[in-house]
Amino acid sequence: MAAAKAARVGEEVWKTRIDKVNAELVTLTYGTVVAQLCNDYDSNYVEVNKQLDKMGYNIGMRLIEDYFAKSGSQRCANFKETAEAISKIGFKIFLNITPVVSNWSPDGKQFTLTFEENPLADFVELPDDGKAQDELWFSNILTGILRGALEMVQMQIEAHFTSDVLRGDETTEMRVTLLRYMDDELPPDDE
Amino acid sequence: MAALGGPAIACIGIIGKQDNPLHMSLFPPHNNAAGAYLEFSFLLNASLDIFDLRARDKNRVDQDLGLLHAMDERLSVWGWETGTGTRFAIVLDMYGRSGGEGEASGLGVKEGELRPAFRALQTAYIGLLRNPFYIPDEHTVAAGGVQIKAKGFIKEVERIGMAWKPGITTL
Repeated sequence: MAAAKAARVGEEVWKTRIDKVNAELVTLTYGTVVAQLCNDYDSNYVEVNKQLDKMGYNIGMRLIEDYFAKSGSQRCANFKETAEAISKIGFKIFLNITPVVSNWSPDGKQFTLTFEENPLADFVELPDDGKAQDELWFSNILTGILRGALEMVQMQIEAHFTSDVLRGDETTEMRVTLLRYMDDELPPDDE
Repeated sequence: MAALGGPAIACIGIIGKQDNPLHMSLFPPHNNAAGAYLEFSFLLNASLDIFDLRARDKNRVDQDLGLLHAMDERLSVWGWETGTGTRFAIVLDMYGRSGGEGEASGLGVKEGELRPAFRALQTAYIGLLRNPFYIPDEHTVAAGGVQIKAKGFIKEVERIGMAWKPGITTL
């Protein structure tokens, strides 16, 4: 129900309110950034993952404003609704994909996003250095984006990739965990 | 016509604009033949001058250079040059996959019949260039001229070489 509504909103916004840009430009730009990071950090992929996440975080905290402006959606009632909004509105309007939400944990605080397509990784083949396949999460910027965006709406989450077709896995999946809702923190010395 | 009859691709070569070999794939029955790798390297090498000649032709309208030369009644070399000077060469074997015993089908291959194969190669090459981890500069003569190692690309070249047959329109 919430899912259907989110899908409708996402579709509508994508069609009417989004400026489109050539997909190759995006893919090549992102790919170059990752390749350059790998170079700069001397193939220390753990560090590259971290940097990508950090970059994503900075994108996410800005992007969320645009998300609300374009989608006109309101605060989500619960985390399930948030998940649907991320998949069907967020990913839809910014990347034109709708990753599948599944695998909820019993407490409703963890879910998996399955990416059937991933525009960031088109044509990518990981370096054949015996390390990248095990250590690099090529699209790790996405985890940071989610973390940054949700933090701006008082949700502290943790997100990480659990599989990636680039590594030879069957699917590309990200696990998202809600850590806590942050109360609007009072500014210090506000007595 | 027997399944094995008819001309088939014997070898696909990708050559950089500095005449540096980027990749070469051999196909049955040549892929296991002794000395075939060297033999086909020579063959491609010998076609470079003709590539140059054709490429300089002012009347050339497209990237398809057609038949470059026919070695003998069995092998012929066909060429294609992209806008950046990267060359694709396909060696055709008129004996087909069966590998001889006087089985030349007698069917000629017309100009343009290899076009789908060349187009597919070009698409594969573009895909290769779009991989951010593929560094074209690594393959120049100055950098040591290493050959292409990307598995996806090599697999695609092999698929194209096996799938092409006369009259096919898409690959």
